[in-house]
Amino acid sequence: MTSQARVTNSHAPTGNIIRDSALGLVPETLGNYMDLNRQLWEGGPLSPAEIEIARIRNARKVNCVFCKSVRYDIAQEDGLSEDRVQMIDDDYEQSNLTDREKLILAFTDQYLNDPAGLDSALKERLRQVFTPQELVHLSMVVAFFNGFSRCAVAIGGMPDELPVMTISVPQ
Amino acid sequence: MNWINGGIDRDSTLAPLPDVANRFQALYDSFWNQAHLAPSTLELCRLRLAQLHRSAADWSRVDCEIDAEKREHLADWSSHESFSDAERACLEFTEIYAMDVQAISDELAEAVKAHYGDAGLVTLVEALGIFDGMTRLSLLWQLASVEH
Repeated sequence: MTSQARVTNSHAPTGNIIRDSALGLVPETLGNYMDLNRQLWEGGPLSPAEIEIARIRNARKVNCVFCKSVRYDIAQEDGLSEDRVQMIDDDYEQSNLTDREKLILAFTDQYLNDPAGLDSALKERLRQVFTPQELVHLSMVVAFFNGFSRCAVAIGGMPDELPVMTISVPQ
Repeated sequence: MNWINGGIDRDSTLAPLPDVANRFQALYDSFWNQAHLAPSTLELCRLRLAQLHRSAADWSRVDCEIDAEKREHLADWSSHESFSDAERACLEFTEIYAMDVQAISDELAEAVKAHYGDAGLVTLVEALGIFDGMTRLSLLWQLASVEH
């Protein structure tokens, strides 16, 4: 990964982290990108804490320094403490996360590691715990945040580490 | 038919969440209507991802008409004469993106920028994120290919 950004947005800063990022160089997609991000956070059946669990798992697997360092305030307000965030690691099965939260991580790992290899046992467990709408929402959450984190890595310019920072969903 | 809600394709799978579906579609459509990177080149990159992921559903999609010869020889893009230098730069970037996004080099990025500029590179990585994501979901949802 390069620590030098391959592209920079030299427009005047707006205070919006997405608009001020390199994504701001493509106005044709920017508004739609932000609309989908907002809808996924605020308009689907999964709770903010559940969305954040999937997002952080993806961030850690992709190793996007920025995505790993971010915490969304609405997920914290929904009860996702930093203690619980620390459980989102490779030993999550042995953690105190709920069965539903562990299934979110299993789904995310399946998407990342072997999307074509979903077995009938995991499929059945997912169907028993989540509604079809929740599974579609989870699918789009994982796909969207995976794409965003890969985008950030591909553009580069991130340090090796960043402190944890709490942000709101960009409006 | 997928295993989640009986949808037979991407649209019918997303249909129970219309607000998400509509916003996703607006974003998806915007890639084919931007001014920074040729839509036909984006389609080649999307199809190359479908090949690399072995997704019949995504290979069978047509989001932008491309030359039939290019589609036929897409796996041989590095040597086949029908591909332009700009297309080759984007396809090489796409292949590394698919295998390991951390392995993208400055040289690969510069090669894309030489043809399409900074905004073109951003368009490409943004589009690849969505294309790769929807290809993975086609596989995860176990969608079948569709006839066109």
